[in-house]
Amino acid sequence: MWRFLAEAGAVFVKDLRTELRTRVAFNALGLFAITTLAAISYTIGPYRIAQADRPYLLSALLWIVIFFAAMAGLDRSFVKEEDSHTAALLRLSARPLVVWGGKLLFNFVVLELLMVILVPLYVVLMGFQVLSVGGLIWILLAGGYTLAVTTTIVAAIIARASSRGALFSVLSLPLLLPLLIFVIQGTRAVAEGSAQGAGSALRAVVSLGGVMTIVSIVLFPAVWNE
Amino acid sequence: MSGGITIEFEELAKRFDMRVVFRSVSGRVGPGEVLAITGPNGSGKSTLVTILCGLVRATRGTVRYRAGSDGEIPRESWRDHLGIVAPAMSLYEELDALENLRFFALVRGVRDAEKRCRASLERVGLDPERKTQVRGFSTGMHQRLKIAQAILHDPEVLFLDEPGANLDPAGQGWLEELVGGQRRAGKTIVLATNDLREMEWGTSRVALSG
Amino acid sequence: MSSRRSRGEVLKWILFVWIGVIIWAAFFYAPAAAGFKGQSSRIVFFHVPIAWVATLAFLVSCVASIRYLRTRSMADDVRAEVASSLGLLFAILATVTGSIFARIMWGSYWNWDPRETSITFLLLIYAAYFALRAAVADPERRASLAAVYSILAFVTVPFLVFVVPRIYWSLHPDTIINAQAKIKMGSRMFEVLMGSLVGFSGLFVWLYTVACRIERIRRRRQQEVL
Repeated sequence: MWRFLAEAGAVFVKDLRTELRTRVAFNALGLFAITTLAAISYTIGPYRIAQADRPYLLSALLWIVIFFAAMAGLDRSFVKEEDSHTAALLRLSARPLVVWGGKLLFNFVVLELLMVILVPLYVVLMGFQVLSVGGLIWILLAGGYTLAVTTTIVAAIIARASSRGALFSVLSLPLLLPLLIFVIQGTRAVAEGSAQGAGSALRAVVSLGGVMTIVSIVLFPAVWNE
Repeated sequence: MSGGITIEFEELAKRFDMRVVFRSVSGRVGPGEVLAITGPNGSGKSTLVTILCGLVRATRGTVRYRAGSDGEIPRESWRDHLGIVAPAMSLYEELDALENLRFFALVRGVRDAEKRCRASLERVGLDPERKTQVRGFSTGMHQRLKIAQAILHDPEVLFLDEPGANLDPAGQGWLEELVGGQRRAGKTIVLATNDLREMEWGTSRVALSG
Repeated sequence: MSSRRSRGEVLKWILFVWIGVIIWAAFFYAPAAAGFKGQSSRIVFFHVPIAWVATLAFLVSCVASIRYLRTRSMADDVRAEVASSLGLLFAILATVTGSIFARIMWGSYWNWDPRETSITFLLLIYAAYFALRAAVADPERRASLAAVYSILAFVTVPFLVFVVPRIYWSLHPDTIINAQAKIKMGSRMFEVLMGSLVGFSGLFVWLYTVACRIERIRRRRQQEVL
């Protein structure tokens, strides 16, 4: 177990270091999120939505921004290995699950970094009132993890395809549909301060994330070694 | 450490969607031997290497790794025993030489990683303290680094696909010495090349036709 | 061989007559259900079996995909692909028939009712599955990546079918097997519906075997060209 963590950690550190030097994924996600936020804030602003609709609509908008930002850059970690011809040596050097673990951690960290910047900005610009801040953090963490684990395996799949185009979002969005529904409901519940609603949404997100993790562990070697 | 590894392959054929690369290739290479794979461009030398190291599945035919008397090594574990240099396999351009080797040492779980990485770099004539990213390397330096990566974990099997490409005469001399040393140490070496001098290192040969 | 073929011939005719009888019974034997506008309830005899077949095809495709990853036999890939293409066809038919019914009963073709959401999900999955297949050139790789995607999609289904409706309120008439496990349907209607389910399942099996045969021949011919 420790060996696995050390090796996966090495993959993660390598990805993070490369990313810090090129900033391709950071730029893609960050710029996408900021431009969309600016567009939403400009066209809708804090006062155009009726008070009663706010928790729901603002939660939905927030997650749509996060989801599409993820679509803009989270395939990077795998696609880059193929495009710069480093995948073969990685395949021959590291165990499949080590690669998966490292990439998953990388995608999770990128997403959480995005949220750390995006969510406070969104709250301020859109006047989004959240009654249970602790609950929101839990939803963002669990939602971010499930989003990362799903996009990681899809990115691994599309990296092996010969023509990629919009394949990443085409393949990801159907799989992410239940997650999107759960996190929007969860965020709405924490905004309204309903502990019960937040709890059930959180349970759904966590179990979806758990199922995706198990299935990925079983299937990833078949994708990576093919 | 076991008594080296023998690779046997029989009647390998590979077809990509529309194109047949080769129809039936067989051979065998044992410890202390160098198998030279030769043939014109496009005859499938590199493809054969990727099949032998387990990256690509053959359309037909079998490859076996035998470890002395211990019997056959399963395909999933081949990678623990081999090092490879190939034109189509790159290192990480955004990292410097030492960072690259350190990464491969860590994911392979090499002991004394730091010492081994530095020793490996010095062996191929690169300065471990140089902090240039690989993208700033000349092709010759990149080739040296790839060789350092291949021998980093002291593998029993070494795949060398055009190892002398882009090396200066000094580098080629040093490569010859390296291959000779590995051979004497009982390593199994597969060498794909069109270089007449490198072909001479071979103890046996597989010639692919175009 | 010849006895098998003649048995197939007989089964084909039985299927033909069976479906003919069901069509007649749907309009003349079963009564129009109370509480539905005019004759609109009769669509249930076609809509429900079609939706059932779309789901069945999804299940078949998933089982074939799991088998492919274990056996690596192209016959299983053919099964998965054929089941998915039939599934796509039936999912489209289910959407259209459902939409017509929704227009008559609730006045709008579409309103993101949970059942409409799940059929959209199925449609998206099938579309993504074929987009992925089209994007991979190598046949073996295409087969395994598609198989992995099919399994990934399958594990998200329970979340969509069982968890989402608990969060959302539904307009859809109670399903056949509802929460109280009671059949709320006239006996004549129930008979026709069950008969239709059997008939459509038979139709699926027939289409599936024929399409598998065609696909196998097509692939063999492709190989012979080389």
